Amino acid sequence: MEQVSIVLGVIGSDCHAVGNKILEKVFSDAGFKVVNLGVMVSQDEFIHAAIETGAKALVVSSLYGQAELDCPGLRQRCQERGLPDIILYIGGRLVIGKHHFKEIEDKFLKMGFDRVFSPDCNLDEAIGLLKQDITQRWGSAAG
Amino acid sequence: MSFTMHKMEKDSFLAIRDDVLKGWPSGAGLKFEDAFRVHAALPQKKIFSHVLHKADREKRVLLQPRAGVALVNEHIKLLKFLEEEADLLPTTIDAYTRQNQYKEAEEGIKKSLKAGYSLLNGFPAVNHGVAECRRVVESVDRPVQIRHGTPDARLLAEITLAAGFSAFEGGGISYNLPYAKSIPLEKSIRDWQYVDRLTGFYEENGVSVNREPFGPLSGTLIPPFVSHTVGIIEGLLALEQGVKSITLAYGQAGNIVQDIAAVLSLRELAHEYFKAAGFSDYYLTIAFHQWMGGFPENESKAHSVIALGGAVAALSHASKVIVKTPHEAMGIPTKEANLEGLRSTRQIVSMLADQHFPESKELADEIAIIKAEVRDVMTAVMDLGKGVVAAAARAFEAGVLDIPFAPSIYNRGKLLPVRDNTGAIRLLDKAFVPLSKNVYAFHRERIAEREKAEGRQAGFQMVIDDIYAVSKGRLVGRPK
Repeated sequence: MEQVSIVLGVIGSDCHAVGNKILEKVFSDAGFKVVNLGVMVSQDEFIHAAIETGAKALVVSSLYGQAELDCPGLRQRCQERGLPDIILYIGGRLVIGKHHFKEIEDKFLKMGFDRVFSPDCNLDEAIGLLKQDITQRWGSAAG
Repeated sequence: MSFTMHKMEKDSFLAIRDDVLKGWPSGAGLKFEDAFRVHAALPQKKIFSHVLHKADREKRVLLQPRAGVALVNEHIKLLKFLEEEADLLPTTIDAYTRQNQYKEAEEGIKKSLKAGYSLLNGFPAVNHGVAECRRVVESVDRPVQIRHGTPDARLLAEITLAAGFSAFEGGGISYNLPYAKSIPLEKSIRDWQYVDRLTGFYEENGVSVNREPFGPLSGTLIPPFVSHTVGIIEGLLALEQGVKSITLAYGQAGNIVQDIAAVLSLRELAHEYFKAAGFSDYYLTIAFHQWMGGFPENESKAHSVIALGGAVAALSHASKVIVKTPHEAMGIPTKEANLEGLRSTRQIVSMLADQHFPESKELADEIAIIKAEVRDVMTAVMDLGKGVVAAAARAFEAGVLDIPFAPSIYNRGKLLPVRDNTGAIRLLDKAFVPLSKNVYAFHRERIAEREKAEGRQAGFQMVIDDIYAVSKGRLVGRPK
């Protein structure tokens, strides 16, 4: 079966690199073709990489609390650039201060993300969900 | 054997300065005379080096939190709130300013004003400018340090030192490779030579400014010799430009014996290399960072991690401890959580104030191994060039120096650490780092003990298990 491409990266001016390296490994081990853009990735770089590689999903990380400033407009920009169906995932420490996860989740779902993950989420579950979402939206099994 | 030292010429420094100050409107019209006057008017209790050196001589560990928000008044409120338990105050700079993105920082300030809370993860000092920054120093009762992660911090240093901040964290290696993706090392080291020269210039005019290379690097399974070597090199670079008050830092790794050995050996090794390079007119202090890796989400468990770091800082006689908070797992803490971290630390540091960690064979062995590692690497770095800048850049290019999990493309990232069966950090793969045969053999033996105990081979999965272990309730990432 053909490998499904996903684009991975840490958005904005965030340079947290450790989780990114781990995500690359676990998503690769799960059968995805991972296009890892590393840290400090702009919205345009994410979209450009998705267009270049035909990726089915953008897996966005943010650990420094400024995702609220970095992420608005990503969904609209994807639509403008011809990626209306691309799956958008985000995970990490997304806002400043301690809030209920539900609040944070709502905020980013409203922004156009398909799923929002907490910093301590289970990666196996996240992989399962991504495969399921890709099958549902794109009709092809992942991995 | 040592490097050839060279102080930046005053004329070339001043020529660069003209350009640096044009980086943002707040840099216009900065005058040294005004800055020196502001510092001369500071009472001793607000001069960083004065407070820090005194505590170090008395073998007291000072407490310092991290803190910074977008707006000046809110930032002052935050620092005043923390003063109750903090001996030294910080001003942590936001991530946009760290990348010299002052336009984005300006947006962040506007959006924070509108939202009624800080959307920036720190204090955008360059945008606020000298007069507003001065209000921060004037409003608090303790010395304040700028803490950040800025590869090119020249304008930030100009503005904040002019405002009366009397300590400045960072260095050309430690604030580039863990904090940036594609900035050449020679560039960031040169830009930090400017900051050190600026500091040296303040010193020559009777103003003491403390400098502190950033010790923890990527904060993830860093073997002590790696951060020690980087710290010593950045210390030499600072002293070379006239810095007098120098703090080298180490981030808690988790195994108590290894951590205490690391703090003790850092002090001794730094003096050894500084003296060999011909420096004697400096004061060295040591900063200990509480656990920089992932924290447990449960706040009681987080306090336990905080307390362990406090204990090691006290028992190893670090000069200061950089304090974490029970909100660490979630990101930037509330001011209340920040104060709680200081209180947990205060309690344990005070209880241990009169105790020493006993000498033992284990401790002596650990000190000996760290010293052997640092000497192996420093000797190889010195072989790569007479000047520190070129030698350090070549060392990273060749992988002689290598920082695990740093994002920069100018770092090889091939050195692979893992914990041994007691939780001490060892090397699974030394990659291109020139450690002697017997030193490396020691690492492999220790890892073999763990492999045997866990019935599995050490590999990247074991490393991942170690990275998540503390947040999941233990130090060593045992198999499920």
